[in-house]
Amino acid sequence: MSKFETVILFNPDLSNLIIEKEEKNIIDNIESSEGKIISTENWGLRNLSYKISNYKKAFYKFYQVEINGSSIENLKKIMTQNEKILRHLFVRVENHQELPTKMMIDEEK
Amino acid sequence: MKRNKKNLRSKPREDRKNSPFEDRKRFCAFSQINSPVIDYKDTKLLSRYISEKGKITPSRITNVSSKKQKELARAIKRARFLSLMSYTEKLF
Repeated sequence: MSKFETVILFNPDLSNLIIEKEEKNIIDNIESSEGKIISTENWGLRNLSYKISNYKKAFYKFYQVEINGSSIENLKKIMTQNEKILRHLFVRVENHQELPTKMMIDEEK
Repeated sequence: MKRNKKNLRSKPREDRKNSPFEDRKRFCAFSQINSPVIDYKDTKLLSRYISEKGKITPSRITNVSSKKQKELARAIKRARFLSLMSYTEKLF
């Protein structure tokens, strides 16, 4: 088991309900491959610095996950096939940061 | 001759002020005790280390140590991928 941070960008045209459903799907996928979700953070609808498949905005979600590295490949495959997800990133970390992250602190200001 | 050189070095700093060989202090902003942690989510910090065209500034200009420069570059590239930073210009 190792610790990962993951950021997912969702399609901005989706309604809140559909996004919640998609989130649940992802969480189920992680938990079925013996992973654990430690905490989540919602960065909300943000402007993109450049267009991604002609969208100027996206919903950002941030997760701190504990999972086996070998099962991440499968998760990536599922996410790339999902059209509602614009982009995703897994980053391995030594220790999980304390929340809130820098992104939320900057927004409050 | 050798002795003379040694003497020059051992002079106090103020005496050497006008010398062209004066050793200015160059230090890495990320290797100090209270220095910030390099993180791809901290775009404000990262944007200090890119040029107006969005390029990563070389460490010989910013005085970041080679170990930290590698971390910095990786963080900037991650932030670009997530569209938190632009590839081609400095946004803020």
